Amino acid sequence: MVIYGNINGERVSSRELEEKIQAAVRKGERSLTIHADGQHGIGGRIWPQGRKVKVTVDGPVGQRLGSMGMPGTEILVKGSASDDVGWINCGARITVLGDVTNGAHNAGAQGILYVQGGGGARCDTMTKFNPRFEPLQSWYFRDVGDSFAEFKAGGIAVVCGVDPRNPDNVLGYRPCVGMVGGAIYFRGPIQGFSENDVKLTELSGADWSWLTANIKPYLKAIDRMDHLKMLTGDRGHWRKLTVLTAAEKEVRRGFKMSTSQFREQVWEPEVGEGGIFSEYINHPRTILPYITTGGDRRFRPVWYNDKYLPPCAYACPSRIPSNKRAALIRQGRLEEALALVLEYSPFPATVCGQVCPNLCMDACTRGLFVDRPHDIRKMGSLSLEVPAPRKARSTGKRVAVIGGGPGGLSTAWQLGLRGHQVDLYEAAAKLGGKMELAIPRERLPQEVLQKELSRFAEIGVDVHLNTKVNRKLFGKIYREHDIIVAASGAHEARLIRFPGWEDVTPGIEFLKAVNFGEPEDLKGQKVVVIGAGNVGMDIACQAWNLGAARVTAVDIQPPASFGKERELAESRGTSIAWPRVAERYDAKKRKLYFKDGSSMEADKVIISIGEAPVLDFLPPGMDIERGYLVVGSAGQTSDAKVFAVGDATRPGLITNAIGQGRITAEAVHNLLMEVDIVPEMKQVIPYDRIRTVYYEGGSPDLIPTPELAGDMRATGVPEPGVRVEGSTDLEPPDLPGRGVVEPSAEQSVIPGEARDLAARQATAAAAPELEARTCMSCGLCRDCGMCQAVCYYGAISRIEEGGEWEYVVDDEKCIGCGFCAGTCPCGVWEMVENV
Amino acid sequence: MDPATRLDQNHELSLKEFPYIIRWRDDRCTRCGRCTAVCPVSAIEAAPHVHRRVFSEGTVPSPKAQREIVHVVRQVTDIDRYCTGCGSCTLVCPNEAIEPEYNPRHKFLTYKNRGGVPFRRGGRRNDPAPSTIDQLKFTRISMLTDPALDAGRHEFRIRTLLGRNLPPEQLPLKARGGRLVVSKSGGFIPPVREIYPIRIGSMSIGALSPHMWEGLAMGVAYLNEVEGMPVVMCTGEGGIPPRLLKSRFAKYFILQIASGYFGWDEIVHAIPEMSEDPAAIEIKYGQGAKPGDGGLLMAYKVLKLIARIRGVPEFVDLASPPTHQTKYSIEEAVAKMIQSMSMAWGFRVPVYPKISGTKTAMAVLNNLARNPYAGALCIDGEDGGTGAAYNVSMDKMGHPIASNIRDCYLDLVAQGKQNELPLIAAGGMGKTGNLAANAAAMIMLGASAVDTGKYIMQAAAWCFGDERNRCNLCNTGRCPRGITTQDPKLYRRLDPDRVAERVVEVFKAADVELRKIFAPLGRSTELPIGMSDALGAADSEIAERLQISHVV
Repeated sequence: MVIYGNINGERVSSRELEEKIQAAVRKGERSLTIHADGQHGIGGRIWPQGRKVKVTVDGPVGQRLGSMGMPGTEILVKGSASDDVGWINCGARITVLGDVTNGAHNAGAQGILYVQGGGGARCDTMTKFNPRFEPLQSWYFRDVGDSFAEFKAGGIAVVCGVDPRNPDNVLGYRPCVGMVGGAIYFRGPIQGFSENDVKLTELSGADWSWLTANIKPYLKAIDRMDHLKMLTGDRGHWRKLTVLTAAEKEVRRGFKMSTSQFREQVWEPEVGEGGIFSEYINHPRTILPYITTGGDRRFRPVWYNDKYLPPCAYACPSRIPSNKRAALIRQGRLEEALALVLEYSPFPATVCGQVCPNLCMDACTRGLFVDRPHDIRKMGSLSLEVPAPRKARSTGKRVAVIGGGPGGLSTAWQLGLRGHQVDLYEAAAKLGGKMELAIPRERLPQEVLQKELSRFAEIGVDVHLNTKVNRKLFGKIYREHDIIVAASGAHEARLIRFPGWEDVTPGIEFLKAVNFGEPEDLKGQKVVVIGAGNVGMDIACQAWNLGAARVTAVDIQPPASFGKERELAESRGTSIAWPRVAERYDAKKRKLYFKDGSSMEADKVIISIGEAPVLDFLPPGMDIERGYLVVGSAGQTSDAKVFAVGDATRPGLITNAIGQGRITAEAVHNLLMEVDIVPEMKQVIPYDRIRTVYYEGGSPDLIPTPELAGDMRATGVPEPGVRVEGSTDLEPPDLPGRGVVEPSAEQSVIPGEARDLAARQATAAAAPELEARTCMSCGLCRDCGMCQAVCYYGAISRIEEGGEWEYVVDDEKCIGCGFCAGTCPCGVWEMVENV
Repeated sequence: MDPATRLDQNHELSLKEFPYIIRWRDDRCTRCGRCTAVCPVSAIEAAPHVHRRVFSEGTVPSPKAQREIVHVVRQVTDIDRYCTGCGSCTLVCPNEAIEPEYNPRHKFLTYKNRGGVPFRRGGRRNDPAPSTIDQLKFTRISMLTDPALDAGRHEFRIRTLLGRNLPPEQLPLKARGGRLVVSKSGGFIPPVREIYPIRIGSMSIGALSPHMWEGLAMGVAYLNEVEGMPVVMCTGEGGIPPRLLKSRFAKYFILQIASGYFGWDEIVHAIPEMSEDPAAIEIKYGQGAKPGDGGLLMAYKVLKLIARIRGVPEFVDLASPPTHQTKYSIEEAVAKMIQSMSMAWGFRVPVYPKISGTKTAMAVLNNLARNPYAGALCIDGEDGGTGAAYNVSMDKMGHPIASNIRDCYLDLVAQGKQNELPLIAAGGMGKTGNLAANAAAMIMLGASAVDTGKYIMQAAAWCFGDERNRCNLCNTGRCPRGITTQDPKLYRRLDPDRVAERVVEVFKAADVELRKIFAPLGRSTELPIGMSDALGAADSEIAERLQISHVV
């Protein structure tokens, strides 16, 4: 049957032509000849019910010839075809005796396309794969255009490469983009393909058999059997493109070469070995993990035992290391502990134990953050009976100390111990300076002071009592000694010369008279003390002792008195009034008048606004400022041979004078021995380095056994040097009002007030071992082993040698986490930058 | 000695004031110390805690107490050791026992000025809200109109031109025998480079660690030599190692000169030994992250490496003043710097200034438009990053890049000089991870190229930083990632090869994304510079200001 696409010069529309073809096939027509005139989709969609339908087409064909072609349909185009031949071909065999233009077999799924010529662009794109059917075949005799086989998913394309239009490239520009299935056999040169999708291989035996078998019907169909030999003569002329496997694609996805390869093969050969910075750096080129050990740590722990002063020693002008004393006691080395203090002060019992305001205890970490301070006052008292340390071998150097007060004695003590020959000159009949002369005996028992003064004889200080040094004697002393230390104190009372001042008693004279046993009788008298400092308080107390009916201290400013002196004076009934500026004293009317117009009855007025040094024994020309000798940090004066300490240099506490004496003595010693030693300037440990949470106020292990408590009650005052055996393993006591306490981590709840601080405080000093436990050992290792226990890596170990222990770090295990530093109760471990 | 009151809580901050609070789980913690070892600021430490439990046993009230000291990991309340939220602790914890949690109600800035020193940091503007660029959409999607392209299938050649593109009539060229020849009368043909439109912005050696910088540089070389992507990178003001300068890779680098003039004597010495000209010379006048402020490299970062490359003594503070010392006006500054830098390479290298985003950008632009030697104008907007700046400069100063670039582009259009003087947009490109989208938006607003700095750092080096002041430790030399530190203990954490790999990944991915954006415009070879009809914004004010479609 012949169907015309053009009837009488009039083109039949694509719809009409299609209807005619479909009607003919329905009627059973199985051979159609169509004279086409550009109609769309000729020959497609024919369902021949299991038989064959042959469609022969001539004339110009439109696009999509044979589209949606079905099995059984055989289309022969006697000439070239337009675009999209065999679009979604589902089984038709289409033979084109000419070229196909763009998009041949686009989305084709099954069937065969035989092309006698070449293909245009985008041929064999989007082809499909369906296992139910034989795969699609597309045969091109010459070559194909650009973008061949894009997104091809199935079927076999064959490009024979015979007389190609582009002799350099039979597959066109960039074939196989997105191709995921099927294969392409081709013959002839190509210029690249989508390497992300397909690979180029030789034909296998199976490929070759398939090709040589299937090429025959193709060549027959396009009438080119004469080329059979040429095309099947040499398998080596053919190559194949197949898709990459998923695994192959995975390898290709990221990188053509790894960056490490790039470094080795491209980068370093060009910039030099080691990279662009290697000439400036000297570390290994390896990469470090986040957690490192050894030299790669950012921080490393250091066991800074005793690097810092504890707050007590820092606050103490004499620098007495109470933490070390407590540590020695805890180790059962009580004698050593009590003797240790004598290296710092000759007056532990007198000063620490009696008259010192104990700045150390004000600073005590325990007192500030746990419960009450470590009782350094009592600890000081414990050293009363300790004999003087052994004196060093004689140096043959002679030192004179002028003044036998705390400063002079401290200097003499330190220099004497170091083996120097010390001459001590004291104007009074007794040693001790203000300790002896001015401090009320009730605050400082004579026995204690005398006991401690007796040590000076032990170390062989030559004491010259009743020897007031004047300028002449000073000259002699100056000539006969290598060094002279002026410690003459401040003994000239400061006075205010208001009208009536002649009737006012200088406080220092009043106190001296009392201590020398020549006191005035003040019975029933009203006493006014001008100056409400601590000396004023001492005067007030003495006035009460002498029978005064009323004692008032006045001051122009807030009273400077504090501590025990103030407490004692106030407990006796002393009232303090300020601001009161004395204007005149009328001895007859027994009245002291003030500038504010007020007045006060005063049978006796004592003035205590300080004392000035008397320095007239010194040669002229010494550097003196505002009445005090000008000294350097180690007591140096303007005369290289003369040093000075104590109140002669500036007013201060007794402990200040003792501390100055020790520092000056060290400087003098170094000078005499010609050693160049820079005194160690330790810093104080910050409070937050001490982990106070380890301690609990009122812990039962601070409370003594009943036996000890009984001892305390019996003797009242502890005997120095008492050693309590086995006291380090104290059982918690069974005190009234408390439940039975198991000797375990559990403890009974003690109501706040029943924590029995008073009992504990009183008893603590009874057993030095117990009190020593209250010291939190600031900055000093207490050998508790916390660091060792807390270190996850086992990097810390304890080593002991000759009774001394040390904690050391294995740098190869330590990661620098700082757990040791964070948990050390004493603040000994410190993290430092690991450089 | 500390007064005892100091240890009181009277003047202590509570953790609630801090921007990040450490959530630590006692039940999971093994006390291995990895977290405290790694914390860059020592914000956490081991500490003993007391646990006290009161209980009663038996049939009558019989209170007993149990007291236990346990060791915990504690966050400190010292503002100088504030947790920056970097999460290094979380990273190294074997048991997920610790992590910093952002505290939105923090009062950090209220207190972070100890010693009268304002808060300084690295990073960029702390503003987690979406930027204007991030609110721009590509609303012109051609399916059947413009020749629609397939980003996956079609080949794209995404390139831009860096350098002055004079119109043909202004070039000293003549057609002779069907070919263009340079006219005998001579004349100046400005140097132009074809580069990838996303560049790596200036980050100096010194600001960055050697591993980071070399990683970036290697990535750039890889992109050029292996991937065929002509990505260029600006050195920043810190010199360039002679080994790189003398290599053939020098052509991938833009050398920056800024007010500190660091490293330039070494560069000048090396010029005769250079085998390739650099990609361009950038003259830095300003930086978007800290407009009006200069750079400062702290002395502790100035190790031998930095000192040698920069040509300064070791361990001294290196200030790049906010202004160049000998320049007093746009005319003078621009003219003499561009002349000098052009002469250094015989007028073969494009030279252009970089300024911070500013209302006055157009004044600079118009000056450059009159200067035939000016190769481009780079504008660095307020979202740019930096290694060190005052917080106030970063958070409160600067100009958004979008309107700045748009105004400049429209100004060029009015003069008929669009695309003649390329505009380069910087500052916040990729801030939220949308590098390609941001770049495309800027290009459509009129930029010829964009710079990315902070984003590439985040993407290529696992940088922790974000806009909630997370980490931002760049200025301290304690970068936990090893990016902005000169401490080998830290920067050796960073593998340069991995950095390079990430650079390559980022650029390849961005390239795909750019294709996805450009394909529906039918653009595969020409950048859609100024093609603002492809842009839309849901915010009418943004749309109006940028003269783009308002889409809702």
